[in-house]
Amino acid sequence: MRPTDPLAAEEHDTPAEVDATFRTLRRVAVGHVAVFASVVIAVPLLATALDWWSQGRLIGGMSPMFAMTAFGLYVFFFVVCLAAATLSTAVEERMLGGPGHEGDPQDPLSPNDGAPRP
Amino acid sequence: MTASIVLLAVLLVAIGSVAVFIRPQRSSTFEFYLAGRRIGVVTNACAICGDYLSAASFLGVAAAVYASGLDGMWYATGFAAGFVPVLLFVAAPMRRFGEFSIPDFLGRRLESHSVRITSVVIVQLVILAYLVPQAVASGITWELFFGYGLAGLSPYATGVLLSTAAIMLMVALGGMRGTTWTQAMQFLLLLAIFVWLAIVAVGAGFDYPQAVRELSEQPLANPEQVEGRWQLEPVTNQLAPDTPAYFGEPGGQYGQLGQFALIVSLAMGTAGLPHVMNRYFTSPTGTAARMTTVWVLGLAGLFYVLAVLLGTAARSMIRDMSGDVAWLDALTTNGILRVPEHALMVLGQIFGGRAGLGLIATGALIAVLSTIAGLLLASASSWGHDIYERHINPNATQRQALWAGRLAVAVVAVLSAVLALGVRPESLAGQFPSIVATMVTWAFVLAGSALTPVFVLAIWWRRTTGPGAAAGMVTGAVVAVTMCAAGVVLDGAGYGELLLTPTLVSAPCAAAVTVAVSLVTRPPQHLSTIWVRLHGTAADRHTVKLARLTRTGLGQRKGGHR
Repeated sequence: MRPTDPLAAEEHDTPAEVDATFRTLRRVAVGHVAVFASVVIAVPLLATALDWWSQGRLIGGMSPMFAMTAFGLYVFFFVVCLAAATLSTAVEERMLGGPGHEGDPQDPLSPNDGAPRP
Repeated sequence: MTASIVLLAVLLVAIGSVAVFIRPQRSSTFEFYLAGRRIGVVTNACAICGDYLSAASFLGVAAAVYASGLDGMWYATGFAAGFVPVLLFVAAPMRRFGEFSIPDFLGRRLESHSVRITSVVIVQLVILAYLVPQAVASGITWELFFGYGLAGLSPYATGVLLSTAAIMLMVALGGMRGTTWTQAMQFLLLLAIFVWLAIVAVGAGFDYPQAVRELSEQPLANPEQVEGRWQLEPVTNQLAPDTPAYFGEPGGQYGQLGQFALIVSLAMGTAGLPHVMNRYFTSPTGTAARMTTVWVLGLAGLFYVLAVLLGTAARSMIRDMSGDVAWLDALTTNGILRVPEHALMVLGQIFGGRAGLGLIATGALIAVLSTIAGLLLASASSWGHDIYERHINPNATQRQALWAGRLAVAVVAVLSAVLALGVRPESLAGQFPSIVATMVTWAFVLAGSALTPVFVLAIWWRRTTGPGAAAGMVTGAVVAVTMCAAGVVLDGAGYGELLLTPTLVSAPCAAAVTVAVSLVTRPPQHLSTIWVRLHGTAADRHTVKLARLTRTGLGQRKGGHR
């Protein structure tokens, strides 16, 4: 971003806004990573706690653990990431940009839809 | 044979020419390394997949499943899981901060030259550790597909040298823009090959759940050379050594600690891989970088689901057909392949004859080439930009800087080829479930131990300092390399598994040292400005506004002409 660019001068964030957003995003990231880590740890760990998990049969010869490792975990990763990305982007759109820098409320592409900011 | 060679040649030439035709038109390092920061979300996601899904994913995951059953799947799980921490902690802030490469990012964020130099060394080590198995895989593929060498070289050496030379030229000419489109096309081709193979396998009667049932009825056994003769040896169950291991159950390769150690190593390593993280600098905004990761997870997840399915299909179908197909005798012992990496190529030949084998060999070479391309570009940017432009010749012209980058590409490519020629894959085949996947794991270990902890702390902990980060990187690298070396020497189960994939230990060590040293040293002088740049979205909003104004302007101009 060049300092002489008039558009660049229109857009800025204050340190206080950024710090508040950073703290919220950190909570979002830590919350999602906790869910992610719990499931990733649980999948192999359950094999020692529940025989059914690794030796039971869901479909044909596939145990619940096999099905989870072959398909389920990828779906789970995708859902966790989609949820985190959507939430993080929504947080940034609401908390950053400042009242003096709102986009056009009539513009559907505008990051600010005109809703009041916290 | 001729048809399959022609197919391979046509596909490789077509992909190579994309890089040349879409090469940067303006001669600048911004275009060469970052493609002008105008790569869209889906294109970048496909390019990241092409970059990331190396021979370890294309041949190695299926090979690991083929050899170890359920325990082979942990590779795929770990490779895919790696993008979750990338999205949660790294992608958006790193892109918003900007810069050209990982050393550039760390150097500016921490306002420290020592961090920049230290991270260049670590990045080059990671790149070399990742390049060597790619070259090994191209040698293995050439050996099986062609079976002969050129100019008096062995088939393996010919594969290593030819693939390295071809990709070196493509990267030097194409830069990031050419490489992006090539990698995106390469990924789509790899996915298409997997889809084709899965469809023909299912069409030929492969029933996934039924195959898992049949494979799990007998204890798992793999070929090993005993006193010069190949014979099936039962696989030890690492979870319960007194009972046999089965295909559909855990224990075929790892104990409980080994499973965690492998998943953590792979999941943490992705965020520190220079060739993958450098791609995020090409996104137009931080939000685009974040959404790119979501797409990567969807596409990579689909790819790994198919890779696991095909590893299972190979184990089931090759065994069933080995009695009827004469050429399988030379490759198998009692219906089980001696080199697990041959699984997909043999499956391709069963269903598509020599053309099928040619297609899979092309896919394997493409996977190798696209990853080598990304690694060489990352290497060029850290040597050319971080060392040459910053330290050796700060007044370098754009032309000089570009040639420095191209020279770095050549030097690193030659070095990796020489190291790959020193590896004899057949001597290591019995020791690891997939030698290519195992060697790639060591690159992940180094990246996850030395770079990822420092990355996460630099982005999310304001107090991180340059000396702290440098000390953390060195600690992580030294602990990881020492433990890996001890693991190879000891070659044992239990703690031996942890030694071979030591991120569980080395990453916390790196983080602890970074925090401890940071607390007794001074943080960067302009921390407040750095923090706003790292976590603010002003630059993103500016880019979006500019893009909208450009679109509106173009629309009005078109309207005016009507």
